Amino acid sequence: MTVESKELKYVPTTCPYCGVGCALNLVVNNGKVVGVEPNKRSPVNEGKLCPKGMTCWEHVHSPDRLTKPKIKKNGKFVDATWDEAIDLIAKKFKEISDKHGPKALGFQSSCRTVNEDCYALQKFARCAFLTNNVDNCARICHGPSVAGLSLSFGSGAATNPFEDVLNADLIVMWGSNAFEAHPLAGRRVIQAKKRGIPIIVVDPRYSATARLADDWIQFNPSTHIALANSMMYWIIKEGLENKAFIAERTKGFDDLKAMVEKYADAEEIHGVPLEKVKDLARKYARAKNAVIIYCLGITELTTGTDNVRSMGNLSLLTGNVGRPGVGVNPLRGQNNVQGACDMGAYPNVYSGYQAVAVPENRAKMEKLWFLKEGSLPDWYGSTLTEQINEAGNPVKAMYFMGLNPVVSYPDSNHVMRQLEKLDFCVMQDIFWNESCEYADVVLPGTCFAEKDGTFTSGERRINRVRKAVDGPGEAKYDWEIIAMIAKKLGLKGFDWKTAEDVWDDLRACTPSMFGCTYEKLGKPESVHWPCPAVDHPGTPILHVGKFSAADGKGTMFGLEYREPAEVADAEYPFTLMTGRVIFHYHTRTQTGRAKQLHYEVPESYIQVNTLDAKKLGIKEGEKIKVSSRRGEIETLARISDDVAPGVTYMSMHFHKGANTLTNTALDPLSKMPELKHCAIKIEKIEGAK
Amino acid sequence: MAKKGDMLYAWTNDSALAKKAECGGAVTELLKYALESKAVDAVLAVTRGFDLYDAVPVIVTNPKDLDNCAGSLHCGTLLLSKLVMEYAPQLAGKKVGMVVKGCDMMGLLELEKRKMVNLDNILMIGVNCGGSVSPVAARKKIREKFGVDPDKVTTEEIDKGQFIIEYEGGHKGIKMDDLEDEGYGRRSNCRRCKVKIPRQADLACGNWGVIGDKAGKATFVEVCSDKGAALLTKAIDAKKLSTEPANPKGIEIRAKTEKAMHKLGDKWRQRDFAALAPNLWGTIAEETGRCMKCYACIDNCPVCVTRPDKFEQPDLMVRAGFAPADPMFHLRRFAHISDSCINCGQCEENCPAEIPLALFSHAIRTEADKFFEPKLGKSSYTN
Repeated sequence: MTVESKELKYVPTTCPYCGVGCALNLVVNNGKVVGVEPNKRSPVNEGKLCPKGMTCWEHVHSPDRLTKPKIKKNGKFVDATWDEAIDLIAKKFKEISDKHGPKALGFQSSCRTVNEDCYALQKFARCAFLTNNVDNCARICHGPSVAGLSLSFGSGAATNPFEDVLNADLIVMWGSNAFEAHPLAGRRVIQAKKRGIPIIVVDPRYSATARLADDWIQFNPSTHIALANSMMYWIIKEGLENKAFIAERTKGFDDLKAMVEKYADAEEIHGVPLEKVKDLARKYARAKNAVIIYCLGITELTTGTDNVRSMGNLSLLTGNVGRPGVGVNPLRGQNNVQGACDMGAYPNVYSGYQAVAVPENRAKMEKLWFLKEGSLPDWYGSTLTEQINEAGNPVKAMYFMGLNPVVSYPDSNHVMRQLEKLDFCVMQDIFWNESCEYADVVLPGTCFAEKDGTFTSGERRINRVRKAVDGPGEAKYDWEIIAMIAKKLGLKGFDWKTAEDVWDDLRACTPSMFGCTYEKLGKPESVHWPCPAVDHPGTPILHVGKFSAADGKGTMFGLEYREPAEVADAEYPFTLMTGRVIFHYHTRTQTGRAKQLHYEVPESYIQVNTLDAKKLGIKEGEKIKVSSRRGEIETLARISDDVAPGVTYMSMHFHKGANTLTNTALDPLSKMPELKHCAIKIEKIEGAK
Repeated sequence: MAKKGDMLYAWTNDSALAKKAECGGAVTELLKYALESKAVDAVLAVTRGFDLYDAVPVIVTNPKDLDNCAGSLHCGTLLLSKLVMEYAPQLAGKKVGMVVKGCDMMGLLELEKRKMVNLDNILMIGVNCGGSVSPVAARKKIREKFGVDPDKVTTEEIDKGQFIIEYEGGHKGIKMDDLEDEGYGRRSNCRRCKVKIPRQADLACGNWGVIGDKAGKATFVEVCSDKGAALLTKAIDAKKLSTEPANPKGIEIRAKTEKAMHKLGDKWRQRDFAALAPNLWGTIAEETGRCMKCYACIDNCPVCVTRPDKFEQPDLMVRAGFAPADPMFHLRRFAHISDSCINCGQCEENCPAEIPLALFSHAIRTEADKFFEPKLGKSSYTN
């Protein structure tokens, strides 16, 4: 910018909430953030923001921010100096690593913080302790997308950009409530609808997004595979598959065909009338360009990876991949959930999905990271919730950066019990959250407004985050904290001075992002990876002409429907589904501090069907008891026909809420816990209002 | 000695600025002089952000910095009126100079009615505005309709009914009418706007009506207030500016241009309002039925003033925690701004649910103005 003023400074940056990556201007007045103003120059959101984006500045200067390192001494947290905290962490991790080896440590990176922080944490874990026990919270949102889309297409990311839905002739939204969870991606769907592009929403719940649809397909929770298989049966039966595409660009058709034979009529499983299934199948197969947008309704199940592959199957069968207006697009949950994975905060890959199992990759990293030849491990590390399950044995020490496992992981009581078993635990955050009690050291990091860096959005666009103000008190950049510990341990390769230094470190070892210089990322359009060379324009659409898989083919799979791990029974007769509301983000450490957002939804509620409520004698807004095999809570009843009889829905934002009830059972392929399906019981509290 | 009602050609005596600015640089020079002479303590100006599609407001206290704010940005769809009161509390009580388009000016006049700003402390240098184009739409238009890489464009302007660009290797103009019929034009509120020359500012400046040897080298200035006259007189006396009486033919051309713009505005009103009339309730219900309660229409509206305790009381008709919003969310806003909507378009441009809010509130005000006496007194402008 040519002129700057202290009294009114606009700092263009990226919203810290969902994976759409909206741009906004933070308004700075004499060193304080005083508001958000539209950034209309952004091609992503053209200045428009959702309620969370509009209020994303309100927590920045909260008096509750962590400002000093804290160490637990005799069961009480006391303020400490950075030297004390760093010394203690280095000493403890070293001791435990020396005594118990690399599998005794667990590192968990947030998807809310910048790429630079995520890269730094995984590099530190791998260099300092030669461990692959490093993961990020994508594990509990889009882990199955990474796994499933890799198997289907050879790349675990969304195939097409958000705006590209405007080139489609049909939009199918499957298990995605974009209007609430990704509002500015939802806006693209609204634009499409205004242009007359038909929208079909496939969701067990009459969500805010289903309200926008031309057609809402209600089906039984977690029966995606049965429904998709049934659709594919009719597509093949009626000869609507894209034979040329299948022959030229795919493999696995015969497996798929054989499997779907069993699903000619699967209404008993999924609950959608046969004629409706046929109609949906025909519409999808006949559309010239059809895009599938999906989200956590697909992924957060023990069949998550197979559900994702089912979406891949549908698109491959009909040739809907590799050009504008088509594709399979997961709406990535958090602002940097794509990036945290891209950075290699993952137990089986380095940055850019370079597998740890490949000796050449390890050799390359050892060289670039100043490590002894042959030192990096080849084993698949423990995942996010596996590390929790392993707390105490074999995991003895854990490092959490920007996470609140007590509220956001399944089965909160289990999480709390497990965290207590650790010998040593570090929480690095911007606020004191419900999990900090379980730490031995709590470190003050900096929020999005206080650091430079990048967030990679769900369309693989690497958006710049720009520092607007200094962090509070003694808070430090998160990558800087990690570098301090690394240097304390005598490691080389952590002498970064700026976020750009960290980014360039990443570029040097990541061929798919080598071309993404800060200079290029500084433009409002930025760059979609892969971008292997500085003069490469980036890749908004994947799989054009050839799939990213090694053999260049897309793969179809014959997939069998499996029931969720825990289904409703006589004792726990209701199905609980979970999700988000538009007004909050995850565990509310930030959104709970925004006035409007707190006003809208100050406490947890459960959606119950009208008939069920009547039977139980429950009224709208009444406090009720909800329990599962894992715990019980009290919450408010919200009664409507948005959910079917026997089905309920809760958002995941509240402590002593949904995750007290949820199940830890894992998807075998991606280790995703079954956050979206468990069995519960609802009881009236006598005398409750 | 300039006086209210004068029409002049004016240009800066600073040859470096003349080169940098457009049409003689009189607007920049006047603001610089206002700062230098302490007629104002600060100027709320607009500068380029990323590129010429990105307009960013700044508060300038050093006159030299204004050189970097010279030139117009037709893709800057900012509204400055509310920024003064929201983000510059230290400017309260101080004198501020501003460049205002019609909508910026109307916004300030409305805020004054509500005692939210004191116009005695604001010097408004008005500039003609034929309408603006949102940055992303402008880039799309340049790529798709002009066949030019938007990053290669060096200047853009709207002149004689054309959108004209200069780029590395050439220049090109296309008729606004043709662009707009294909959906590539100005914002829809700008199309309906009829405040093209902001005569309620202190000075109304622009390039319409500058003809003969002064064409492109001078600014047409209409003196609209005593405050404006005083500033202009002093700037001339200080030898910052040169002026000559506007060519009578030029005055005529300027009036014609304005009339043509008004006619175009009427055409768009006819088109937009007529289309809305037959199913007004249904359309409003359907469109606002997507509202996700971001409050952007309220936050960015120059005439919405909310209560500080608005989130502290229960609400029967706009239930907390429900999205899409209940119908009363927008009904109460339309009621609140019914006789004050200036059709600045911010509500609509910033709406993530693509609700044509400005269309609704502009229609309400236009119809109400014909029928009711306004609650806060008659406005000095009509739109």
